[in-house]
Amino acid sequence: MFLKNKKVEVNGAGLILVEKVEDAIKVEKVLKIVGYAVKLVAPPPDLRMGCDLSVECNIAEKVGIERFLKGKHVPFLEIRPTKGEGDLLDIVKIVNFDGAVMVKAGNMKMTISKKTGIILNTSGGGCPDIPYLNLQLVGKKIYKAERPADLGLTLCALMLDRAFDECLKIWREG
Amino acid sequence: MLIIAGTIPIKDFPLVYGKATFCGSFLKIINHEIPCSQGTASMISAACEVSAYLKTDPPYILTAGDIGHGDGTRKIYNYLIENVNKILPDVIALHYCLPIMGLMKKFVEEVNRCKNDIKLLADASSMYAAKAAGAAKDFEIFTPDLSELCFLADKDATHPAYMKKHLFANSQNIDNLIVEAYKYSNAAKLLLIKGRIDYIVASGKVIEKITEPDIPTLEAVGGTGDTITGLVSAFFDAGLEPYEAAIISAKINRIAGKYAGVQVASKIGDIINVFKDVFKDHLCELSGVCIREETQ
Repeated sequence: MFLKNKKVEVNGAGLILVEKVEDAIKVEKVLKIVGYAVKLVAPPPDLRMGCDLSVECNIAEKVGIERFLKGKHVPFLEIRPTKGEGDLLDIVKIVNFDGAVMVKAGNMKMTISKKTGIILNTSGGGCPDIPYLNLQLVGKKIYKAERPADLGLTLCALMLDRAFDECLKIWREG
Repeated sequence: MLIIAGTIPIKDFPLVYGKATFCGSFLKIINHEIPCSQGTASMISAACEVSAYLKTDPPYILTAGDIGHGDGTRKIYNYLIENVNKILPDVIALHYCLPIMGLMKKFVEEVNRCKNDIKLLADASSMYAAKAAGAAKDFEIFTPDLSELCFLADKDATHPAYMKKHLFANSQNIDNLIVEAYKYSNAAKLLLIKGRIDYIVASGKVIEKITEPDIPTLEAVGGTGDTITGLVSAFFDAGLEPYEAAIISAKINRIAGKYAGVQVASKIGDIINVFKDVFKDHLCELSGVCIREETQ
């Protein structure tokens, strides 16, 4: 059988950690159905969280996978990279312009009007959802706009969400 | 021959391969019209403007719709993997794609098997994938911004969202970041580091810093990094050395920002639309590439 013998190449540097073996099997099954490239693997010893089976995925797709699994009520513990820092970058940098402020979160940037709260621009990145988010967000008021993490699917969207959070905080604090 | 490959943010847009023309506010590829927004479209538009001015062949575009699901990305990689040894382009520039390391590895292996010496450039997530797949050294040019340089300097990170905090926090220490990026072969042969100061780095050494004209608002405008990458790709394909293409592109992008009177709320189209004037006024002095206009 062609399909049976076809190897799934994932090599995506991400792991979906679960509590129980059956959860790992379910996660793999539901993600494969909707087209995610995933496969069952044994997690490295330092990432074992109660079960010796996990699901390898493309870490860049973390946001979309998390949203999908939560929407389907499929239990999982965490999605994290297989190497390097395990925690997302949480530092932001702020650049002030005349009447506007730009927040940099990792590779993503968002600029809002200090006066109106309107998202004036997004830049940096990125993954394929970033130009899409630019079209969806620019011109919207930060306090009314849909969050990048709810609209996007990738890690770049998540970093843009960090910048969004900080912009919202700056706007609320006046 | 230059191929620019990258996704566009239009769901279900089919895989398209063909020559592109920039028509003011949109791109025309075969019978498809694509709005000139942030991302691959901006990069292509800038490259088209170079080829139109120099009267060289326009870039070939390989694109497909993708809003983050990776569907368009897979179509692009699979097309390249299957066809690169038949097309045999001189330069391939990769742009907005989902970073799929396995496909990037296969693509680079296929390029390395080709009988001609295909030069590779990457920006955006294609650069992340090249680094994470251990293929950075196979690339001629990367065009990171400062945060992306931090990512290249982190030997373990597979995406900028997971780079080490201290690298991002101390990103002003450019020399150290460059050393780290090259130490672990995570940089292309040439880097154009985009920022308040543009750094041109060849084989680990800073060979030029570009500071003028100083237009801080450029960084806020979505697509200004994309246009630099488009300019570099086209100038490199036109025959300039990588460092020449990088220096000229960084300068032209800044001057275009000045011509367009860029504000933080500007659109990338405002900048692309003035490239023609910038080339006319400055390209000869910057590059020695002088176009003589014929008068009747």
